[in-house]
Amino acid sequence: MEEWLYIQTEVYPALLKGFWVSLQLILPSALCGIVIGIMVGVLRVYGSRPVTAAANAFVAVFRGIPLVVQLFIWYFGLPYIGIYLSPFIAAVLGFSLCSGAYHSEYIRGALLSIKRGQMLAAQSLGFTKVQMIFSIILPQAIRRALPGCGNEIIYLIKYSSLAYMITCIELTGEGKILASNSFKYTEIFLMIGACYLVMTSVAALFLGRLEERLRLPGFEHQRI
Amino acid sequence: MAAPILRIENISKRYGKKDVLKGASLEVNKGDLKILIGPSGAGKSTLLQCINFLVKPDEGRVWLDEQEVHYAHKRDLYAYRQKVGMIFQDFNLFDHLNALENVRIGMVKVKGMAKAEANDRAVMELERVGLGDHMQKYPAQLSGGQKQRVSIARALAMDPKVMLLDEPTSALDPELIGEVHAVIRDLGNNGMTMIMATHQIGFASSLASEIVFMEDGRILERGTPDKIFNHAENTRTREFCSKITELYGER
Repeated sequence: MEEWLYIQTEVYPALLKGFWVSLQLILPSALCGIVIGIMVGVLRVYGSRPVTAAANAFVAVFRGIPLVVQLFIWYFGLPYIGIYLSPFIAAVLGFSLCSGAYHSEYIRGALLSIKRGQMLAAQSLGFTKVQMIFSIILPQAIRRALPGCGNEIIYLIKYSSLAYMITCIELTGEGKILASNSFKYTEIFLMIGACYLVMTSVAALFLGRLEERLRLPGFEHQRI
Repeated sequence: MAAPILRIENISKRYGKKDVLKGASLEVNKGDLKILIGPSGAGKSTLLQCINFLVKPDEGRVWLDEQEVHYAHKRDLYAYRQKVGMIFQDFNLFDHLNALENVRIGMVKVKGMAKAEANDRAVMELERVGLGDHMQKYPAQLSGGQKQRVSIARALAMDPKVMLLDEPTSALDPELIGEVHAVIRDLGNNGMTMIMATHQIGFASSLASEIVFMEDGRILERGTPDKIFNHAENTRTREFCSKITELYGER
């Protein structure tokens, strides 16, 4: 009975609050990540040499440094040069850049897989390079990149749990506080695990639907 | 005699150490149908792609309507390409768009036409190539012949002054070649200026205003179909023509 009361009055409100913060972290980060990924991916494939080199360097840095370290730099490091970010902003920034670096790799692979003929046809009609990329190449490439990008979004949902390390108290952070007060680590983290599983499952469902919606006739998966 | 609508002079292209084109020159008058023939590797495709600068020639100049094309200027290049339609051997329809959208997108994106107007024009062009019933189909749902006709409609919708056709029927089943030939014949009868690379010499000889024989990056001989196929001066031309006649049958 006492347990139930504890769950009702302490655990539930805290986890609900944390869940809400997590969502607020994940949604903008996923969106910004995709946009950054598309931009960087396009620049890596179609940019001039220096631009491609810069975009490659971006990926090397943000994919190559552990995310926790990146978050520490944004939150604890930047104040040294006079820039103060709120924990929330620092987390969204860190997640977006890291996610974008990963997305760009999926987008790059998909861009490279588009047949040259598609580009020749667009050019022969008088398309500029930018028109060709945005109305012919990307619509096809994004469809091919979707499974990979979906993977990255699922991954983002899980690594959003790192935000509590820079005092942005989201789901995992709330759980940590609850658990260290009550010592009910197992119960509380089981609940938190379930919450993440729900989020990732909903995301997977949504991504599956999106993939189906964007599927082109003739490009269906054939079971063999 | 009116000035040629398209003139190319001394086009050369080299890939690494291989000279693919060694100074090809051509003049095309309005309403002409020039047929490029020659063995594979002769440079027919490269020549066509150089004419609208999908491949940048190392040397050479191109004039359209007596205006030299300054292809290093992006704006000039894009404007020029709108006036020169290109048909590819493997169709190159945009895979993510249906037939109607394939024809419409150039008018909307490149010419900046209103969508409704572009739509009407696209419908008209598709009906003209006999695909009025297939406008909502995606490339993967169309046969090869239908795909090639969509690609012709797509090029025509841009109101080109010249059309370049790079072996438009080489990837097609023999049964489907006829429907594409019919469309091309129709274009010719309506006065479209065309340069076409093909191995279909039966079709070529019945329609061409001039046959151009290419080998090894050069134009070796040119003349009326009768001259090239029956009284060619160059030995190589004669050899090639007799071989290809054997292969592709009746003329």
